[in-house]
Amino acid sequence: MNNEILEGLRKAIKEYDNEKAENLAKRAVEEKLDPLRVLDAMTVAIREVGDAFGRGDLWLPDLVGAADAMQAAMPIIEEEIKRTGAKRESLGTVVAGTVFGDIHSIGKTMVCTLLTAEGFKVHDLGVNIKAEEFLQAIRNYNADILAMSALMTMTAPEQKKVIEQLKKEGLRDKIKIMVGGGAITEEFAKEIGADGYDPTAPGAVKLARKLIGR
Amino acid sequence: MGYYEVEFEPVGRRGKCRDDESVLDCAHRLGVGIVSLCGGRGKFHCCKIQIIKGSVSKPTKSEIEFFSSEELKDGYRLACQTYLKSNCKIKVPLESLTTPQRLQLEGLEIGVKLNPPVKSCDVKLSPPSMVDLRGDDERIMDDLNHQFNLSCRKFDIDVLKNMSSLLRSSRWEARVFVRDNEVVSISSKHSSGLGLAVDLGTTKIAGYLLDLDSGKTLSSSGVMNPQISYGEDIVSRITYAMESPAKKKKLQEVVVNTLNSLTADLCRRANVEKERIVEAVIVGNTVMHHLLLDLPVDQLAVSPFVPAVQNSLDVKSRDIGLNIAPGAYIHLLPNIAGFVGADHVAMLLATERIWKDDDLVIALDIGTNTEVSLIDNGDITSVSCASGPAFEGAHIKDGMRATNGAIERLQLIGDEVKYQTIGKVPPVGLCGSGILDAIAQLYLAGVISRDGKMNDHPRIRFHNNQKEFVLVDEKENGSPAITITQKDVREIQLAKGAIRSGIDVLLQERGHFEQEIKKVIIAGAFGSYINVASAVSIGMLPPLPLNRFQQVGNAAGIGAKLALLSIEERFKAEAIAHRASYIELAASPDFEKIFLRATYLG
Repeated sequence: MNNEILEGLRKAIKEYDNEKAENLAKRAVEEKLDPLRVLDAMTVAIREVGDAFGRGDLWLPDLVGAADAMQAAMPIIEEEIKRTGAKRESLGTVVAGTVFGDIHSIGKTMVCTLLTAEGFKVHDLGVNIKAEEFLQAIRNYNADILAMSALMTMTAPEQKKVIEQLKKEGLRDKIKIMVGGGAITEEFAKEIGADGYDPTAPGAVKLARKLIGR
Repeated sequence: MGYYEVEFEPVGRRGKCRDDESVLDCAHRLGVGIVSLCGGRGKFHCCKIQIIKGSVSKPTKSEIEFFSSEELKDGYRLACQTYLKSNCKIKVPLESLTTPQRLQLEGLEIGVKLNPPVKSCDVKLSPPSMVDLRGDDERIMDDLNHQFNLSCRKFDIDVLKNMSSLLRSSRWEARVFVRDNEVVSISSKHSSGLGLAVDLGTTKIAGYLLDLDSGKTLSSSGVMNPQISYGEDIVSRITYAMESPAKKKKLQEVVVNTLNSLTADLCRRANVEKERIVEAVIVGNTVMHHLLLDLPVDQLAVSPFVPAVQNSLDVKSRDIGLNIAPGAYIHLLPNIAGFVGADHVAMLLATERIWKDDDLVIALDIGTNTEVSLIDNGDITSVSCASGPAFEGAHIKDGMRATNGAIERLQLIGDEVKYQTIGKVPPVGLCGSGILDAIAQLYLAGVISRDGKMNDHPRIRFHNNQKEFVLVDEKENGSPAITITQKDVREIQLAKGAIRSGIDVLLQERGHFEQEIKKVIIAGAFGSYINVASAVSIGMLPPLPLNRFQQVGNAAGIGAKLALLSIEERFKAEAIAHRASYIELAASPDFEKIFLRATYLG
């Protein structure tokens, strides 16, 4: 019975059936399943989708859809985790967002979902985020990693601005910085003093683990 | 700091290369046109070179990732990442050269009622005498105003410098060129005034020399935009210009130099003197426009990306150093927004007679940035889509620009691939129209599914850890195979999704369905070469009967010509720009959904 729910949840995510994912999450709570086990099942599913995307077997909307389905179920499970007082070990805290002037969100959201699935605590600030907003969030959440996205070459230099602001306020050495987005290259990342870059969302997860040594 | 001798093959250019300048910078300094899409940041892997002799710096990480170990062993490198360590001989592969390219010059010619802004007036003056002591300027002005009913009040300073001697040697007869209330040129001969129309593209420049009396095109010519050496796309060029005022000035200088040689070439072909050119119209995108005039570009690079100048402009040719009649003006059409410039206005102007009687028309110019306008009952709504350089061959494994050896047409018949190359030479790679055909053919044959996934097929193989479809075998031409990889398909899905989502967002914004579209006007070089059926097959363009599509060639150039020949056309251009509103694609509420849907094939 329990396995049936978990299996169904996995399937709902892979077939991006938001409604089913949400319903099954509710049923899992009703049946008093260990919320951490439920979370694990969802994580495995989204990771499988991410890997298939990385191989080129699945396409962007599949990943976006799966992430959406997971987001539909997530609050219910998180609520249950909180209620039962279960402790989920977090790999680290990430502050993420698309830089100021840029309102593209697909890639950034993808990375956030996969990081969450991996076990990071992710604070997705959204798009068009100014340097001071990033800094504010980093302080508030005591973040381990800052993840910035920029799709347009025009807005890529904004990432540099944020890093310089971090240096100025003495926060640079307290945090790992990863950058990504269509406009970013390895060289650019190095040039602006970021700690890492990866062109793909699944790659970004590996990078995040590497950066914090987990 | 040291110097080494360098020789570039096959162009045969030799020179000195500093040890602290990249091979790319050195090549550009020596006038060797190597493609540089990213402005030297190693991003697009387009400035591929081969070291034939000599030693150079070690490959960077991105080079090691990009090249296979064989290629590295064979001396393949990226010019922007390579520094000399000894005298060297370097080969520039065909696909890395910026020239020669096929240029698109012919467009949709349409008649226009002549009413050029510069009028020619023949004056016959009475010479000064003891009882008529009027100055030369006053003498001409009186004659013009009485005989031609003008209210001329001004003389260009350069006209005044030559006028007196000219009048005396021509027995007080002259042809005077008047623009608004100003004399802009004077000639002793009764030859007609000429006009120069230029479409200043990011990659290519097309120039036309016109007779303002007859409206006829005397000569036309095309050259590459020399700013390519400083970055292939507009963003790289803005980045370069922002580094220092001197660098920004440099971008103006090189383009004006090229405009001058283009003008000289046009005049030579038509056997006329360049001083006879009394008016010019130059159209370009907003960045080209600003760089030509040495206007600030910084604000174009930051949100919300506004132009410094949106309205039409008249500047003296000598203010930017354009060598035509020194008093002549250059007219610049208005820009719509930072990402939709005067070239788009010129295109809409040129195609006005195609769209003005239909209530729903899409007009688009496909490029790295694709501008799309929806004309709905007189309202024009425009977007700019970041379609990327995939259709120019970048980001595609065997992609190349439209030069000799590029597959431009392709068909899949059974398991056999039939193709046609530019220049009818053995295939080297695929240019935009070839890539488009290939994806469409593979999709129609079921080799690629709707979501872009490659299925099994005898020609599909695994190579470098990914699936690829072999279009041309290794054996067939003695060089590496030409293939379409799974990643290539993904790149095209993103590019075509960007274009299609632009169209879809416009339709949604205005509350229309695609079937209501009466016409789709496709302008620009790439758009003119593509097989529209392929573009429709993969869903880059909406599924409409093919007779609703019209490929119009370089319509921006035609628009520039029209604005040269008629004041009314300039007013029309103003009106078009005035009626046009720009919307930011990504800010549209459903953009993400629309874009993702648009990335599917079919």
